[in-house]
Amino acid sequence: MKKHLMKCLAAMSAAVMVSSHASAQDTVKIGILHSLSGTMAISETSLRDVLLYAFDEINGAGGIKVGDKSYKIEPVIVDGASNWPLFAEKAKQLLEEDKVAVTFGCWTSVSRKSVLPVFEKDNGMLFYPVQYEGEELSKNIFYTAEAVNQQATPAVDYLLKAGKKKFYLIGTDYVYPQTTDLILYKYLLLHGIPAENIGGGFRKDDSGKVISAGKYVPFGHTDFQQIVADIKQFAASGDACVLNTINGDSNVPFFKEIAAAGLTAADCPVVSFSLAEDELRALPTKDLVGELGCWTYFMSINSPANKAFLKSWNAWLKTQTHPGVVKEKRAVDSPMVLSYDGVYLWKAAVEKAGSFDVDKVSAVLEGGVVFDGPGGKVTMQKNHHVTKDVFIGETKANGQFKILETFPQVYGEPFMLKDLDAKLAAK
Amino acid sequence: MGGGKNPRPFLKMHRTLKFLFSLLCGIFSVLAVQAQDAAIREKLSHAILAEGAEQPKLVGELSDTGSKIVREVLVAWTRDNVFLYDADTVKIPVLLEDQTDADGKARAIRIDNGKFLLDDKKQELRFAPTELTSADTDAALRTVIQQTLDSLALADPDPDARENAVLKLGNSKKLKNIPVLQARLAKENDLTVRRNINEAIAMLQLGDPDPKVQVAALQQLAALKSIGSLDMVKSLAESKTAAPEIVKAAKLSAETIGEHIAAVNFFGTIFRGLSLGSILLVVTLGLAITFGLMGIINMAHGEMIAVGAYTTYVVQNLFGSGFAFSINLPFSFFGHPLGFGLHLPGMNSTGWFYETYFIFALPLSFLMAALAGLALERSVIRFLYRRPLESLLATWGVSLVMQQLFRMVFGANNVQVSSPRWLQGHFTLNDVLLGYNRVFVIGFAVLIVIGTWMLLTKTPLGLLIRAVMQNRDMASCMGVRTARVNMMTFAFGSGLAGLAGAFLSQIGNVGPSLGQSYIVDSFMTVVVGGVGSIVGTVYAAVGIGTSDQVLQQVTGSPVTGKIVVLVCIILFLQWKPGGLFSIRSRSLD
Repeated sequence: MKKHLMKCLAAMSAAVMVSSHASAQDTVKIGILHSLSGTMAISETSLRDVLLYAFDEINGAGGIKVGDKSYKIEPVIVDGASNWPLFAEKAKQLLEEDKVAVTFGCWTSVSRKSVLPVFEKDNGMLFYPVQYEGEELSKNIFYTAEAVNQQATPAVDYLLKAGKKKFYLIGTDYVYPQTTDLILYKYLLLHGIPAENIGGGFRKDDSGKVISAGKYVPFGHTDFQQIVADIKQFAASGDACVLNTINGDSNVPFFKEIAAAGLTAADCPVVSFSLAEDELRALPTKDLVGELGCWTYFMSINSPANKAFLKSWNAWLKTQTHPGVVKEKRAVDSPMVLSYDGVYLWKAAVEKAGSFDVDKVSAVLEGGVVFDGPGGKVTMQKNHHVTKDVFIGETKANGQFKILETFPQVYGEPFMLKDLDAKLAAK
Repeated sequence: MGGGKNPRPFLKMHRTLKFLFSLLCGIFSVLAVQAQDAAIREKLSHAILAEGAEQPKLVGELSDTGSKIVREVLVAWTRDNVFLYDADTVKIPVLLEDQTDADGKARAIRIDNGKFLLDDKKQELRFAPTELTSADTDAALRTVIQQTLDSLALADPDPDARENAVLKLGNSKKLKNIPVLQARLAKENDLTVRRNINEAIAMLQLGDPDPKVQVAALQQLAALKSIGSLDMVKSLAESKTAAPEIVKAAKLSAETIGEHIAAVNFFGTIFRGLSLGSILLVVTLGLAITFGLMGIINMAHGEMIAVGAYTTYVVQNLFGSGFAFSINLPFSFFGHPLGFGLHLPGMNSTGWFYETYFIFALPLSFLMAALAGLALERSVIRFLYRRPLESLLATWGVSLVMQQLFRMVFGANNVQVSSPRWLQGHFTLNDVLLGYNRVFVIGFAVLIVIGTWMLLTKTPLGLLIRAVMQNRDMASCMGVRTARVNMMTFAFGSGLAGLAGAFLSQIGNVGPSLGQSYIVDSFMTVVVGGVGSIVGTVYAAVGIGTSDQVLQQVTGSPVTGKIVVLVCIILFLQWKPGGLFSIRSRSLD
């Protein structure tokens, strides 16, 4: 034990020496703010890994060129520990003590909401990579994430085209599913689906306005008997589908119950918005074959850029000595690739601006920086969201998706509710 | 979808006989079938290799073959599981066998003749899926394949597939499907499928231009209590353009069907309540003994459940490809990294033998959890019999240690436990859906309650247990070896928790924190039932389960349902602090 401690100390001092040595050259500090412990660690450590990979790749290629100097990236990793107030503290530390040029981080919407005031107060810059509910725009945050119109509504478009007429909404009870389902409810109404064909129930306020649509279960819910019986009745008249925003491992009992009730993907497909390749690793994919997913990146994209990316990523993983990086049976999914894209968008903007200054880099980013990523071309928009390709995929037994349809270059629109309300009123 | 009024178990038996009969016939007609198969295989392979507009046409032509091979290949095709092997000049479409070897490679079955793919030296070739390119499908082709599959399903040997296919046609709103269904009705022998065909025809007739046919169809649908047609019937009932007699008939039918749905929901809710109650009971019974009878506040009860669930996982893997783990300790001994591991080879069984793994897993999970309980009792709990609060802290600590152990051995992610086929699926009784696994858990709960009751009341050990639990000192004075009885009782209670874990692996997640999600419910049930009373636990479990499901149905939201149940429990305990069956005894005072 003692020996171990000594080793640790030695390693730490070595790390300090390396960093102080490196800062004698030109380096730039970049913050990584993810949960490396707690419930979210399973998902978020993958994002830390892909960020480290991107940094190594950039450093290996000569670093970031600003003016006639080139800077190497020095990552500053902090652990949000799945604790939302701690995220804000760590953000403050990154901005005020470490003085990082940019931060990549957050997974849950609540962690993003908790760091937002810190980034605005200290005028920092955050890149956020995970699909979210929209209805937010901060001048200090760049959302490489899928907005609702880059995931949920294209999936609905696809299902409408496939002749589906009844939609059942189900999700975990928190801000992302609630907001997304409310948007979907209005979107479906707008596309001629009557309210009685939208399943899961509604909650109305005193004036009779629908404020929540769909069925909600708490985190970690396991008993889906009643809900699946409800879906079965709902789907009895055919042409039905389920829009699933259940988060985490509640999906396992849900899909087991769906399978036991004899609801097949051919008759009543389930589209899941929170299940990507990384999550599928821990799910019984046998029960999920044929069900649908919608993301802006799939590991199965058959393009030279994606193949090269996966090859190089796997090679990098093998050589990794960073503690906690799992080397085997890794998957790549959309949040990871969007993190990676974010790094290169920022790099391109910095090199164009010729400065690390947040305001100058922001201005360049808003002007429309382009990067050809593993999932195709991504372009930063003036509204801090990203234009990119959207894919609909079908789950295969090996935990990958077969791409069924591509929506090329979809513009990211964070504010959908107001627009939908206006259109519905006009109708 | 839908279902018969006929009791399915009987039908299943009937089907088994029919299956045997057809097997006999099959042996005689094998040669004829082989010739036919060869032609179909040729056609299939041709279709896969075809290009352009010819391809959908060829696929469509397969729809009247009624062949199982066609269905199998078409499904595989849509899932990218049909591969093209590049022989020098031609491409050969192949499927890969399910069973893979150690390198993840499998033998390739040629679609054109059903034989294994051989190389020049007549050796069987083996491939991993990634080594081959799969035959592509686009959206248009997939639609054609789906249509072909639907019409194939009409003649499928499996009645369940026919039932679904028939109802799909019924929902199609295309009058031209009526003759197709009528032709099938003439040939169909299965009672449930016949009923569904009648339902489907009536649904299609709702779109008939003749009002008389429409009214007759509406009455037929009401007589069949067709849930699937409710949407259509309702839209006719609310229609402003339809003839008044149709609207009237539609209203009547909608009412009849609505009543039927209410009845289905009622019985369904009762069944689901019983099943949830049984799960609670199975989970709680172990605690009813360790906490209820022995008075140990056992916070590690949840981890005993997890031991059972992980045992099921290991047994499953032993029947499959084996189980291995290795742990590297975070420190070294004079430069040698320390760690330990275990590799158990698997039996690589498949088919029905693999499916029996669960039967072996049940007693083993009981045994493993009982052993874990035994170790816990000997090492920690026996020192704390007179100090309940300290036993709370100590067992909580043990539960944390055990969770970390699970993480080290099995990983932080959930592990996958597959359900044997006989626990998947469901049968419908008058439209009420009864899942096999749910029926199983109800029977399972009844069995272990009877077993526990027998043990406690009919065996010498039971007598000793009851004596020690009522008054430990007195029993000891009478010559009972209380330490031994304590040990056996705790092990038995833990074993019951292990059994619960084995079952939970079939309906939910198996992960390190599995136990945490059940510990609160377990204590709640024991307290409501009355500490020390097994009968009370049974009533409380079934009562809580049923009221949870009923309230979920009434309030329409699982969250609200749960809150109402908890409030009711709090109020109930205010009224009866001792629970349903409070036991008055001096030892408990």
